Amino acid sequence: MKHGRYPFILSFLALPVGLYAWLVILPFAQAFQISLTDWSGSSNSFEYIGFDNYVNLFKDERLVLPALRHTGIILVVLPVVTIALGLFFAFMLNLGGRVRRGRIEGVRGARFHKVVYFFPQVLSVAIIGILWKQVYAPENFGGLITGALTAVGLPAPVNGFLADKRLVLAAVIAVLVWSAVGFYLVFFSSAMASIPRDLYEAAVIDGAGRVPMFFKITLPLLWDSVQTAWIYLSIVALDVFVLIYMMTPERGGPDAASEVVGGVIWKYAFNHGEQAFASALGVVLFFAALSLAVVSLRFGRRERIEF
Amino acid sequence: MRNTSADKHPMFNRRNLFGATAAGLAASSLAACATSGSDGDDQEVTVGEDAENPFGVDPKAPLDVVIFDGGFGNEYAVAHQAIYNRAFPDAKIEHTATQAIAETQQPRFAEGKPADVLDNSGAQQIPMDALVSDGELAELTPLLEAPSYDDPNVTVLDTLREGVLNAGTFNGKVYALNYVFNAWTIWYDAKLFRDKGWTPPTTWDEMLALCPKIQAAGVAPWTYAGQHPVYLYDMFLMLAGRHGGVQVLKDIDNLKDGAWGHESVALAAEAMHGLGAAGYLLDGSAGIDHIQSQTAFNNNEAAFLPCGSWLPNEQKAIAPEGFEYAPMGVPPLEGSVQPGLISAGGDEPFVVPKNATNLAGAYEYLRIMLSQEGSQIFGDTVQATTVVKGVALDNEAAKMTDALVSNPDDMFQPQFRYWYTKMNEEVRPALGQLINAETTPEEFIARMQTVADETAADDTIEKFTHDE
Repeated sequence: MKHGRYPFILSFLALPVGLYAWLVILPFAQAFQISLTDWSGSSNSFEYIGFDNYVNLFKDERLVLPALRHTGIILVVLPVVTIALGLFFAFMLNLGGRVRRGRIEGVRGARFHKVVYFFPQVLSVAIIGILWKQVYAPENFGGLITGALTAVGLPAPVNGFLADKRLVLAAVIAVLVWSAVGFYLVFFSSAMASIPRDLYEAAVIDGAGRVPMFFKITLPLLWDSVQTAWIYLSIVALDVFVLIYMMTPERGGPDAASEVVGGVIWKYAFNHGEQAFASALGVVLFFAALSLAVVSLRFGRRERIEF
Repeated sequence: MRNTSADKHPMFNRRNLFGATAAGLAASSLAACATSGSDGDDQEVTVGEDAENPFGVDPKAPLDVVIFDGGFGNEYAVAHQAIYNRAFPDAKIEHTATQAIAETQQPRFAEGKPADVLDNSGAQQIPMDALVSDGELAELTPLLEAPSYDDPNVTVLDTLREGVLNAGTFNGKVYALNYVFNAWTIWYDAKLFRDKGWTPPTTWDEMLALCPKIQAAGVAPWTYAGQHPVYLYDMFLMLAGRHGGVQVLKDIDNLKDGAWGHESVALAAEAMHGLGAAGYLLDGSAGIDHIQSQTAFNNNEAAFLPCGSWLPNEQKAIAPEGFEYAPMGVPPLEGSVQPGLISAGGDEPFVVPKNATNLAGAYEYLRIMLSQEGSQIFGDTVQATTVVKGVALDNEAAKMTDALVSNPDDMFQPQFRYWYTKMNEEVRPALGQLINAETTPEEFIARMQTVADETAADDTIEKFTHDE
């Protein structure tokens, strides 16, 4: 009874596809339409001005170009550092301990560590922002790190980390890493658990140390997980708006030193009354995210090892 | 969609499905487009003969009021609405109090269904320049020409304090009623100064001479909300305006060629830079917000704090025992030609959207706000003055502020921050860098002149000017 199949399938698909089209595809399409206009966002009149917004985007030295630079930096640093730390901790927790009766174990208290590392994941981003804002505060306003640095006689930025143009971006990235690493630790841990122990035990018998074991066995077998983590973290990196909004002076300051693309879109849309310009930047971000996903999936593809 | 054809050729192959989706998309995008709202027919409100109901309000028409729920709260608005309902008991009033003005109200403008009365204030206000140049706001002329609520022989305009409409005037047309009277001043604790034997400085040089003494007492001379350098805006501009006269500031607002290069502006920039360079700022100031800076000020950690008139009322519940908030104008530089100049006038802009459903009701609501009763309610609930004459507050700081703003010729609110969002976004971080001595005064001036020139050259930006 082939003829009844398609309507049957379609009846299931219609609702989700319809919702997806209405709530996801349509707004994207509309953003593209709006980006070709001079719409301010607070009227219903606008004119089509072609690609002027896109041309002007790349002339905006005040917000857009710094934001693209900073998002670019985060895009590189966040996945590299988070994955490196995640892999390292996961490896130590699973295989970093002593060899006992021919079996490799994790470091002492591995289960406890796992839970502790996972804690930040439980907090909402807003809380993380407020928490770290205080941690980074100037010393005489209760800053934890500045206070600790001074206590041991090291130089600390007098106005705190977030008011210093040179440090603010690094400070925000550190928070991102701190809040993400726990999740990837657990993620990589469970992936490592599926690697057969005999591979390691054979390596131990052959006299391999921890470092060659990691690079010759663990990393190649975890490649798929690393790739997934990379894409997830890249998506996070493209949108650090909330932390910037919560933590930094003037939501991207001081003096544009921590502007990111998401924050600049928001600023243009709601502070400047230039929705069309904001939409153009949104379209650029959309294509950047899309090509990022495609590229990392294409070039990250490797031969799969069966085990 | 006939079943018979589906039998023979599966109708929904991939291409057809895509086509159908695309068609559906196109159709729905026409209908649901965010930019597809339509303008209502333009209504006109004229001032009629009836002093009780000069705008001809429909007694049954509902009224939609949106209040910025910030430092002043929204209790006063509820009381104003009760007065409205006293006159029009059948009118249903929709009262919204929010801090997210732009996020919640901007889409309503775009849809063509804005609120009737909008308190467009706070950090998330919809940029006034965008609203005005899009023609989204109704002129307030009918309101100003109408008889006042209390006395039919006096127009609303004549009940207002002098100069309070300036901030809401764009190219000679009044689009916003700035309801609260505010002056930007430098605050100090009169008791601390008395106890330590310090004289409140009357010139910048006296202030600089006093700073080492303040430091010797273990107090930092200055602090400010480093995360919001906007608190420095009026201090800096008044320093320049006092030195060179108000015309210097008008030229800046009017984007006159080379306005930032004026000698007085350079001297003011140098003076601001000097505070940071000499170490006269409380450590950490650049990294704190307004609550932290005000708390540090309350704790006598710093002697001077630039802030608006609302400060004493805002601090009322938490001010330490015996703390005496006292305002002064920014101490003028040597050779100042207009040392009394002060940034004072209306604040907290209330606007009436042009496409408001109940335009007459909106004007009537504003008329009620400006009545003696309405403004006394505001004064009593939030301890701040409105722009209406003759509403007195019983507190020392308000009286001292009144003395500072006694000469209408010396009252001027610099406007470029409100007229040109782009310049607003530039002056704030630039001032923050300047007072912390992270840029030189020359770099600061060059930076501001550049953004002023760019604004002047940009034909897509609507220009505003002061009346000469």
